[in-house]
Amino acid sequence: VAREATRRGVLAAALALPLAAGGCKGIGALGTPPRPLPDVAVVREAITDETLMIARYTAVLAAAPALAGSLRPLLGQHQAHLARLKARLVDPRAGSEPPLSRPHPQVPGTPAAARAYLRGAEQAAAQALMGRLTAASPSLAQLLASIAASEATHALLLGPHRRTG
Amino acid sequence: VNASPSAGAAGTSGTTAGPGTQPAGRRARAAAIGALQAALAAEHAAVYGYGVAGAHLAGTRQAAAIRYWAAGQAARDTLAAMVVSRGATPVAASTGYRLPFAVHGEQSAIALAAFLEDRVTAAYLTLVALTDTKLRLFGARGMQTAALRAAWWRGQTLAFPGLEVPAPGPVAAGAGGGQPSPGQSATGGTSPTSPPTGPAGG
Repeated sequence: VAREATRRGVLAAALALPLAAGGCKGIGALGTPPRPLPDVAVVREAITDETLMIARYTAVLAAAPALAGSLRPLLGQHQAHLARLKARLVDPRAGSEPPLSRPHPQVPGTPAAARAYLRGAEQAAAQALMGRLTAASPSLAQLLASIAASEATHALLLGPHRRTG
Repeated sequence: VNASPSAGAAGTSGTTAGPGTQPAGRRARAAAIGALQAALAAEHAAVYGYGVAGAHLAGTRQAAAIRYWAAGQAARDTLAAMVVSRGATPVAASTGYRLPFAVHGEQSAIALAAFLEDRVTAAYLTLVALTDTKLRLFGARGMQTAALRAAWWRGQTLAFPGLEVPAPGPVAAGAGGGQPSPGQSATGGTSPTSPPTGPAGG
């Protein structure tokens, strides 16, 4: 029985950690001096990067429509990333912010080069998110790590096909 | 494979209890141990499951199953050492695991492999919530490694690996081996052919 209690204690501590840290920030946010939370800056940076990534896909799809079959699912996942990140901003003005310099990336013309271009962008984006993990709250870090893993898998699927199966 | 972290973590962690009365350092250590044990339990399950899946695969896919089976063993050793260094006893592998569905051929074996990697990804996600930055990055790298393997088996990607785990089930036809092997597509130091390396003992 004592052993059971011990296990529960360990598990409870593991589960309580993100909640406790998140809770502290929540209380802090209620204070009168609106000191911006570190998470807000991290989320804004991630939103900027996701927005740019979506612009890249959009530009590639416009230049190489033949890639739509393979790229649309990946683009859809980036749109899901962006929505989830935006949901993290509780600032009511978040929706009416100045558009982040409306990126219009120049993309390669051939399908193979376009795939390589997106692959490189996915790898860089995953790396950038990894660099932001330690500045984030526990639950935001989990979201960023999940998005980074998703982008890493995008890079995998954008790699040169070698039929082996 | 019963890879649920709570079931897997039940076993051994020989630490003191009483969250709420502990100093923050002790609570953080207990949380780290709990997360490491969950990852270890998932790796145990994956090692078992790859043994089952590999028996139903051939060629490139079987080679991948064998490679990932070995990588799971190495990851298991790394995690066990990290648990020990924190004064706890690593969870042991179960004597048997219940598979999420019957595995009787290539497609179900591929689906099992994807399922195993999804669960490993979710287990490493727990480490990312820790305040220890080394463990957080270790967890994030472990997630990428497992997510890359899952995507390779499935031939498809997920929007939120680890956070949103798909229900166990069939994978798309032609999945597993139709894409370049994750081993050839390391993303910035993340090489799925090698086990997650990190602050072992740290």
